[in-house]
Amino acid sequence: MKTFSYVNATNEKEAVAALSPSTRDGHGDALAAARSGHQPSKVPIAGGMDLLGLMKDYIVSPDRVVSIKGLDQTIASGDGGLRIGAAVKIADLAEHAAARKMYPALVTAAEGVGTPQIRNMGTVGGNIMQRPRCWYFRNEEFNCLKKGGSRCFAVDGENQFHAIFGDGPCHIVHPSSLAVPVIAYGGRFRVAGPNGAREIDAGEFFQMPNANLYGENVLQPNEIVTHVILPAPGQRSASYEVRFKQSHDWPLAAASVNLVMSGSTVKSARIVMGAVAPIPWRVQAAERMLAGKTITEGVATDVANAAVAGARPMTGNQYKIQIARTAVKRAVLAAGRA
Amino acid sequence: MARKKIDESRRDFLKTVGVVASASASLTIAPEARARQALATLGPGEVPVTLTINGRRHQLNVEPRVTLLDAMRTRLEITGQKRVCDRGACGACTVIIEGRTYYSCSMLAIEAQGKNIRTVDGLANGSTLHPVQQAFCDNDGLMCGFCTPGFVMATVALLEKNPNPTPEQAKRALDGNLCRCGTNIGVLKAALAVKGGARG
Amino acid sequence: MDNGSRIPASGSRQVAEVQAPARPPQHEKYPWPEKSRLLGTRVSRIDGPMKVSGRAKYSYDIVRPGMLYGRILRSPHAHARLKSIDASAAEKAPGVKALLITIKPGEKVMFPGEEIGALAAATEQQAADALRMIKVEWEVLPALANVEQAMRPEAPQVFTPANTRRGTAQEDGDLAAGFKSAAFTVEGTYSTQVQTHTSLETHGCVCEWNGDNLTAWVSTQAVHGTREGFAQGLKIPQANVRVITEFMGGGFGSKFGPDMQGLLCARLAKAANAPVKLMLDRKEEHLATGNRPSAFAKVKAGVSADGKLTAFDATTWGTGGAGAGSDYPLPYIYVFPNRRRMHTDVYINSGQQRAMRAPGHPQGCFVTEVLMDELADQVRMDPMEFRLKNLPPLAPNAMWAKYFPMGAERINWKSRHVTGDPTPGPIKRGLGCSANRWGGAGTGARAHCEIASDGSVVMRCGTQDIGTGNRTIMAMVVAETLGLEVPQITIELGDSHHPFAPGSGGSTTAAAVMPAMRVTAGKARDALFERIAPQLGVAATEINIGVGEVHVVSPSTPDSSASGQTASRSGQAPILRRVAWRDACKMLGTVPVSVDGQWERGLSAGGTSGVQFAEVEVDIETGITKVKKIVCVQDCGLVVDLKTAETQCHGGIISGVNYGVFEERILDRNTANMVNPNMEWYHMAGQSDIPEIDVVLVDTPERGVIGIGEPPAVATAAAVANAIRNATGVTLRNIPITPDKLLTELERAGGTN
Repeated sequence: MKTFSYVNATNEKEAVAALSPSTRDGHGDALAAARSGHQPSKVPIAGGMDLLGLMKDYIVSPDRVVSIKGLDQTIASGDGGLRIGAAVKIADLAEHAAARKMYPALVTAAEGVGTPQIRNMGTVGGNIMQRPRCWYFRNEEFNCLKKGGSRCFAVDGENQFHAIFGDGPCHIVHPSSLAVPVIAYGGRFRVAGPNGAREIDAGEFFQMPNANLYGENVLQPNEIVTHVILPAPGQRSASYEVRFKQSHDWPLAAASVNLVMSGSTVKSARIVMGAVAPIPWRVQAAERMLAGKTITEGVATDVANAAVAGARPMTGNQYKIQIARTAVKRAVLAAGRA
Repeated sequence: MARKKIDESRRDFLKTVGVVASASASLTIAPEARARQALATLGPGEVPVTLTINGRRHQLNVEPRVTLLDAMRTRLEITGQKRVCDRGACGACTVIIEGRTYYSCSMLAIEAQGKNIRTVDGLANGSTLHPVQQAFCDNDGLMCGFCTPGFVMATVALLEKNPNPTPEQAKRALDGNLCRCGTNIGVLKAALAVKGGARG
Repeated sequence: MDNGSRIPASGSRQVAEVQAPARPPQHEKYPWPEKSRLLGTRVSRIDGPMKVSGRAKYSYDIVRPGMLYGRILRSPHAHARLKSIDASAAEKAPGVKALLITIKPGEKVMFPGEEIGALAAATEQQAADALRMIKVEWEVLPALANVEQAMRPEAPQVFTPANTRRGTAQEDGDLAAGFKSAAFTVEGTYSTQVQTHTSLETHGCVCEWNGDNLTAWVSTQAVHGTREGFAQGLKIPQANVRVITEFMGGGFGSKFGPDMQGLLCARLAKAANAPVKLMLDRKEEHLATGNRPSAFAKVKAGVSADGKLTAFDATTWGTGGAGAGSDYPLPYIYVFPNRRRMHTDVYINSGQQRAMRAPGHPQGCFVTEVLMDELADQVRMDPMEFRLKNLPPLAPNAMWAKYFPMGAERINWKSRHVTGDPTPGPIKRGLGCSANRWGGAGTGARAHCEIASDGSVVMRCGTQDIGTGNRTIMAMVVAETLGLEVPQITIELGDSHHPFAPGSGGSTTAAAVMPAMRVTAGKARDALFERIAPQLGVAATEINIGVGEVHVVSPSTPDSSASGQTASRSGQAPILRRVAWRDACKMLGTVPVSVDGQWERGLSAGGTSGVQFAEVEVDIETGITKVKKIVCVQDCGLVVDLKTAETQCHGGIISGVNYGVFEERILDRNTANMVNPNMEWYHMAGQSDIPEIDVVLVDTPERGVIGIGEPPAVATAAAVANAIRNATGVTLRNIPITPDKLLTELERAGGTN
């Protein structure tokens, strides 16, 4: 880990100020710096789980680390939904009574994150902002596209855990488990930056590699996610995650389903898949198939087939199509039972 | 006047929704601090850090990049927790902070200040082992012993929160720790044997 | 959970009656007791309190005054020639006290992680910083990332004289005749992956010089062997080296010498004139400290219509990395009267293999046992019945015919359906079985025992406890022999200043060390009797050991007059006087009893057998396997500590579950760099992945002590693979059985939903 200086920001204004490039830094546009393959020189730290790993492996080597633990750590209700502070620990989200009642798909995802220790340390914001687990990205020996190199090593390499959607040029899967249900619930992110705060639809927050190769979302280096804002959920919702190891592991595929019901009939649906694409992967064609239907095994199977219809697997991850299909089917059925 | 009103509405909010248990302290931001314009930049060289470990305060100078685990092991010779993967995947470095398990390899020492950090070194009362430690011995929940301090701390945290876990709950609580010798059968037996008796 | 139980001695004697001779020769002077007080009971490991409290100091925990931290410079490339190296900036970097470069321009590296230099600095961070200041320029050369690449005719010749080397060639019987008599044949290519040892304590040591004398705290499985390694590597007398390993965090066959990191550490310490700690990090551990070679087998096997094996023909290969072998036993256990096997070692640009928990056996077991289930299906026989029909004859080290029915009972084999679970729904259940064999004989350990006038007993032996419970069973044998309780015995081990004992490999430690304990404690007891006899006014032959006391017995005891001082004197003779142990020892005055002893014949043996059964659930819509239960029937001669012996079985089984389902070293096929050198993508079972384990230890005390560390690790993966086959109806000839492989096969077999 390269040496760095440390700033403890106690509120979002301080955090933004501490993350903003000073004139001395010599590069006004931090995003441009990132696009040239350089990682930002100032990075926020919340739980630290992800950042410390990146720094130990010399994937990210900032000059300054800014603690944003002081951001909002509360979960508040409002507008029929919940407003979740980015600094809320994942374990606290998973145990939160109102969240458990209202957002089972989110809580299921939170309970599946990493390990007890990771859930105790990791924050909601950190989960959303974490960098990909792609083993080429994480190993210093591989100067991959995302690190400013000229090729994605996964294309003709070891891609069994890589994307089945998205067509590259970088084939990561987005690592956030929480982002998947957040999008399914139609959530928004509140973002604080040098020009004040704004809210971004979660579905428009994440970016494909062809739009942003060096990051995974629309944030500027001196912007931070401060809240996840969830509107009132549909009457029924669920997540289903398929993982290789039942203990600590990343999902092979996951799906979150949020249903607005009219009696026992689905009025409208949102279906989002995780761990299959460089961003949480919403499948609107499958959503439309659910509208007007009563959930049965057959309907769930049809919807699941539609969800994976556009998959373009790589050389070694065709099997993930079947796993993603199962995740969607079971999430739909679980939501139907909920 | 206005301030009071905010506080009241805040209290109402607490009543209706509830807050995250650990949030209260860090939420209270003193107005003076808010007013302070220039934020203190610490490091990159060594900075003074005070760590409270097993109830004892330790003052040391470390660079901001030094993890809690490394500060304990290489600066304070508190070597109970082990460095195994150093990436938050194996649990050998597990400590308890505010009743919860943390990977001390994935936490900066500078960020561990102001909290009581509990390690396996401080569990026993003199030569009397903590009930969880005793259960690990009785149920052979250890072989080479290198994962053991992490498993012991994870088990202590589990039982302090849930004194009578089901086997499934116990397994889930121990999923953040890995053993290579394969002591997991003894570990689970130990975790279930202490039922209700963890507060040693 | 654990329903471990021990078959009573009567049961095992019944087993033993089947073959002759019933009793191997016993040690004349100090045989194992007919009726033991401690041996075979459940004793908690004596170093447990040290380990659960963090007081146990491992090499990784050692801190010496003024100690520096060492780091190794390694090749990032699989195959490259050094163009230039410039360490001048690193040499001047803050905190750096010593720096060594061990490669010259023009020289080549052959695997990622190969050591090319090292440095020591005041802090770990300074060492890491300085390491990155060394400028290295390489000419990257073509690398071989897997056996397919290395065996291609057009492959670049990376290794000299060739990328492959002809290995074992065996032929027995008449292969053509064997296949002629076969009613059915099975042909297939089977394979197993490379796994790394992944010991939790990484390799490394602390080295400290005092003049020309080196003290090294090393994470090793062989303190004496490591002393020899340091002496040879540093060209200094062995007398100048002391190796200490009081506690060590796992080795599994990978830690028998100082290795490159040990020698570099010692040289850095010498150069810096200060103690140096050099422990590898997890990535280095995966890359450069050994692994289990992969195994491939293209097999054709025949079976007669009545279910007798007739022929086995295999071409096999595998890789142990850069220039290392990959052989393994094949076929495993079952009798193929006509067989041929040709093996080829294949070299690739990866770290070299080392012995790993039952080297070779899990590979041979997997290939053979999956084949056995396929052959059983050909002749429509129950796989266990099929095995029983083709086993070698019963022998003390070949008891499978007895153990298979025992295990079948406990796994409820009767409930097994034929291949392919007909139950509707995605969850398919299956059962499978397999067998193992191992040696586990040991010799050569020496020990020194002192009995002091206050009654304390110290036993010193230059063995080591790598987590097996060696320290505990040593204390049990000494306590049994001296009529004392386990806590009264002080065991000192893990120090090359103690009498020689061999390295802990091949499950030989118990069989090597326990006889030395028995003999040395027996000799100490005899010496005690000689010393106190005059004060008791009797002959030494009239003194016996009681429990916590010594007995003066009637001089006409036939036992004592016939065979002298036997450690097993049963005390049947009338006891004339009882003297408490402490009072007896007080008679020693200022001069303690101090005796040397060693391993002697007649107290230990080799040759174990065992069987395992697996129950699995496979979700055929996701390809996820859950191993639900493993039953293990295993012998290991005389069980010393039932508790730690059972835990050894648990450990072996869990490592077998990992081998069968989870773990694999994955090399990038284009660069030969390892993509999962961590504990995240290098999958290993966590608590929720651990099956219920039912251990049946068959106690065969008449055989003496035999090791048990490795045998239980052999058969699990094969049993799990067969259970998956039984559940799903598809045959996976390749481990680990990951969802991708399973789903691909299921799809091929007709769809998953």
